[in-house]
Amino acid sequence: MIEFSNVSAGYAKGARVLDGINFHIDKGEFVFLTGPSGSGKSTLLKLIYHDLRPLLGEIRVAEYSSRRISRRKIPYLRRKLGIVFQDFGLLESRTVGENVAFALEVTGAPRSFIRRRVSEALEQMGLGGKECCYPLELSGGEQQRVAIARALVGEPYALIADEPTGNLDPGISREILMRLEDINAMGMAVLLATHDYSLLKDRDHVRRLYVSGGRLIYDGPTGSFAPEAPPASGGNLPPVG
Amino acid sequence: MRSLREALLGFGRAKTMSFFAIVSTGFSLLALGMFALALLNLNTLIRYFESKVEIVVYIRDNADTGRVGMAVEDLGRVEGVDRVNFVSKEEALEHFRRDLGADSDLLQDLESNPVPASLNITMKPGYRDTLHVQAVAARAAELSFVEEVDYGREWLRRMDIFKHVVSVVGVISGALLSLVALVLISSAIKIAVFSRSREIFIMKIVGATNGYIRRAFLIEGVLKGTLGGALAAGGIFAITELFNRKLIPITGFTDRYYLYTVAAGALLGLLGSWISLGRYLRRI
Ligand SMILES: Nc1ncnc2c1ncn2[C@@H]1O[C@H](COP(=O)(O)OP(=O)(O)OP(=O)(O)O)[C@@H](O)[C@H]1O
Ligand SMILES: [Mg+2]
Repeated sequence: MIEFSNVSAGYAKGARVLDGINFHIDKGEFVFLTGPSGSGKSTLLKLIYHDLRPLLGEIRVAEYSSRRISRRKIPYLRRKLGIVFQDFGLLESRTVGENVAFALEVTGAPRSFIRRRVSEALEQMGLGGKECCYPLELSGGEQQRVAIARALVGEPYALIADEPTGNLDPGISREILMRLEDINAMGMAVLLATHDYSLLKDRDHVRRLYVSGGRLIYDGPTGSFAPEAPPASGGNLPPVG
Repeated sequence: MRSLREALLGFGRAKTMSFFAIVSTGFSLLALGMFALALLNLNTLIRYFESKVEIVVYIRDNADTGRVGMAVEDLGRVEGVDRVNFVSKEEALEHFRRDLGADSDLLQDLESNPVPASLNITMKPGYRDTLHVQAVAARAAELSFVEEVDYGREWLRRMDIFKHVVSVVGVISGALLSLVALVLISSAIKIAVFSRSREIFIMKIVGATNGYIRRAFLIEGVLKGTLGGALAAGGIFAITELFNRKLIPITGFTDRYYLYTVAAGALLGLLGSWISLGRYLRRI
């Protein structure tokens, strides 16, 4: 349901960031996306939620394909995904409840449905009773849980998390990881980009993608991680265009 | 409805930016309004002076009354002529006496009436300029019984120049003022939109369509613009009142112009947010 076929990508000016990427993630999978800083993890995630369009190849998300999707349809593709960032991305002038409700309001869902789903999602994230707080009244870990609640309130197919623990203490990071695993256990795919390898400890059976030098170098269980040495020309991929 | 609520909330949240946008719209429109007020009053002044424009056709004493009567009808049909008034020698002398006032004794023992009869011609509004007045005067001068035609040639020429200067200066400074207002307002809105780029990004991430985002911002823009327009209308009203009560009476805006001021604010808010948001939304 998320599928990359021969995807190459880069930004308007500069070298290609990703080249010849192939993988697919099924419903209900849990996947770590790893790689050195600047290797293109965030870029890969942007391609999934179509904040960036590929130069070559095809990206499929649910029933949408990057080849055929029109600009007008991109918001609908994004509603199939829940997206979480390192910096939480909460609106500080809105309460926790309003932040979570926001994701459903833009879809035009009925008010009673929104109210029910918001309290369910907050409950699920252990934030019952925090609905009327403002984000800045919460700890970092709590703020990130609000962001996760907002990501899953629309019951998307997959949760895309870019460095969600990057701003958090190790203990809190662990807790966030467990929350994401709970969500995954309920059937939602999770793709978690991180360079905090301590999160991968005791997760030998979990699938891991490793990108480096713009290529997908490893795709397999964390326990048997053995990346091929990055090609010598790793940093010098052909330029865009 | 949800967009409206979104707009109202956004309004309360970005207080400083909203304030900046409202005040810059308000002040720009106030400046334009005051300028319009000045033009309006100059126009009133011009129209007052113009109402004094009159062509006086002096008639020889031996003129044939029948032909004068025909001439009155003739001249009355010339384009731009409002009225042709026949003033007899007696009436003219009476006017002269009244004008002299205390010195009218001087006219006490005259054997014959030295004041000529005349046709006093007034022009319709819009025809009270050298071009039209001169045409009528020339036509009157051709009549055989006419002694002399007087229409204040020099004064009329100065009026023409004055009107010309007022309209040229008015158009140029009006355009400049509008340009400054537009730049000021659009940068205020741009800053307001930019200050909320994070909010727009989050809206997009959770799957808001461009239409949804646009609606929220446009409604907010219209609300701010309307408030700015109302501020300007209030300022114009206050200034008019100030003049009328403490200084000199001036012509004020009619209700319709106050309405236009508020509407201009709403329109500016709409266009401003449309333009600055359009640039923003086009980037995926
Ligand atoms: N908006 C952008 N415009 C141009 N180049 C960009 C942009 N964003 C990222 N890049 C470049 O693309 C490459 C990959 O960046 P990306 O953010 O995907 O890396 P990352 O793996 O997420 O790194 P990190 O672990 O530090 O978050 C980098 O070389 C970066 O300079
Ligand atoms: Mg990154």
